[in-house]
Amino acid sequence: VEATQLLKGVLDLAVLAVLRDEDGYGYDILRRLRVAGLEEVGDASVYGTLRRLFNSGLLNAYVVPSDEGPHRKYYALNAAGRAELASNGKIWQEFAATMNDLLRERGTA
Amino acid sequence: VNATDTYTDEITAYVEAVRTAVAGLPEEVREGLLEDLPEHLAEVVADDIGTLAERLGPPAVYAAELLASAGYVGGGFPDPPPQPRRPGLVRRVRSSLGARLRELDRSSGPLFGKPRASAFLIQLRPAWWVLRGYLVSMVLASVLGDGSQIGLLPRVGGSDLIALGLLATCVIASIWFGRRQFVMGRPVRLIHKGATAVLILIGLVGFSDLDQTNRYDPYMNAGYSDPYGNVQDVFVYDREGKLVEGARLLDQNGQPIRLGVPNCYDDQGNYVAGAQESVYPYCPRNAPFRMTGEAPDAQVVPTPSR
Repeated sequence: VEATQLLKGVLDLAVLAVLRDEDGYGYDILRRLRVAGLEEVGDASVYGTLRRLFNSGLLNAYVVPSDEGPHRKYYALNAAGRAELASNGKIWQEFAATMNDLLRERGTA
Repeated sequence: VNATDTYTDEITAYVEAVRTAVAGLPEEVREGLLEDLPEHLAEVVADDIGTLAERLGPPAVYAAELLASAGYVGGGFPDPPPQPRRPGLVRRVRSSLGARLRELDRSSGPLFGKPRASAFLIQLRPAWWVLRGYLVSMVLASVLGDGSQIGLLPRVGGSDLIALGLLATCVIASIWFGRRQFVMGRPVRLIHKGATAVLILIGLVGFSDLDQTNRYDPYMNAGYSDPYGNVQDVFVYDREGKLVEGARLLDQNGQPIRLGVPNCYDDQGNYVAGAQESVYPYCPRNAPFRMTGEAPDAQVVPTPSR
């Protein structure tokens, strides 16, 4: 299984998760994901995901002028985003626990 | 400033190439998707060395990834539900109940030395198959039987041999059925579940029946059901309907049958002497069909007892 394939299903959740404690702009979010260990994540995927989450009303955005570079559009979780993070996070944790059990039982992990 | 300009040209070119690649989208959607891209790419460029194409790949590939992740092509990311469409009550209860059960399943796992309690239950499946076979055989026996008691074996017509054969057949069939793990369609699955529920119900009823019988039978025999418990005196009448006095009751072994209490009191409650053990009636004046004031009939007195 390629990590990128797995990532497709959970990138939304990963983006919501890195925005939980701190707002961020696109490239910053990409960096946080990579630092967290999702090194395979693509720039376009993060950008596209942010646009989609924003369009679905899960994120708020605001622009912060920057002295040394372009304006940065910061994304922040709103109430709907937090609710989505909570419910999808729970689904993921159950799924992951199931997978872990499954692998343990089969002696693969 | 020059460097920034170069970056800007590079970014503009890259964005234009991406824009071309997503030309299929409606303009509004396209511009919405790309509106922040120049600023975003500026961050990418500022962060590291290398051209955009080197770092991000060809614009067409970038555009494809963008489309997929932004949800504009099938098979990419499914859109989250537009607005919190409240799930129905049944579904909500079901899902929260399910989550709680799964949690219980996991948390009680260590009790059975398994990651999940259900893993242990699954091991018990063959035991259920055997029990199911037994229950089916009992149901068959009671349907096929003539209504006589079948006991704990599925006897048909009181035959132990048929009982054992039927039992073995049903148990083996049940195990075979269990091991095959048939792929069942929805209607068949419902029938299977319903039949299983009925079988379990029958099993429980049979079990509690048996339990009751075993608990209460000894008491029943010990005399709670004795219909002669409150007999105080016995009155024997002859063929003509006359009261027989001094009668003796014997059982098949010639043993006198003792009933009641050999005491007699008159209407005023005074003791009347003369009553003898096992000679009935003890108290002829109390005969149920005697007319008031009528004296005991002296003609039918049989041989007095010694």
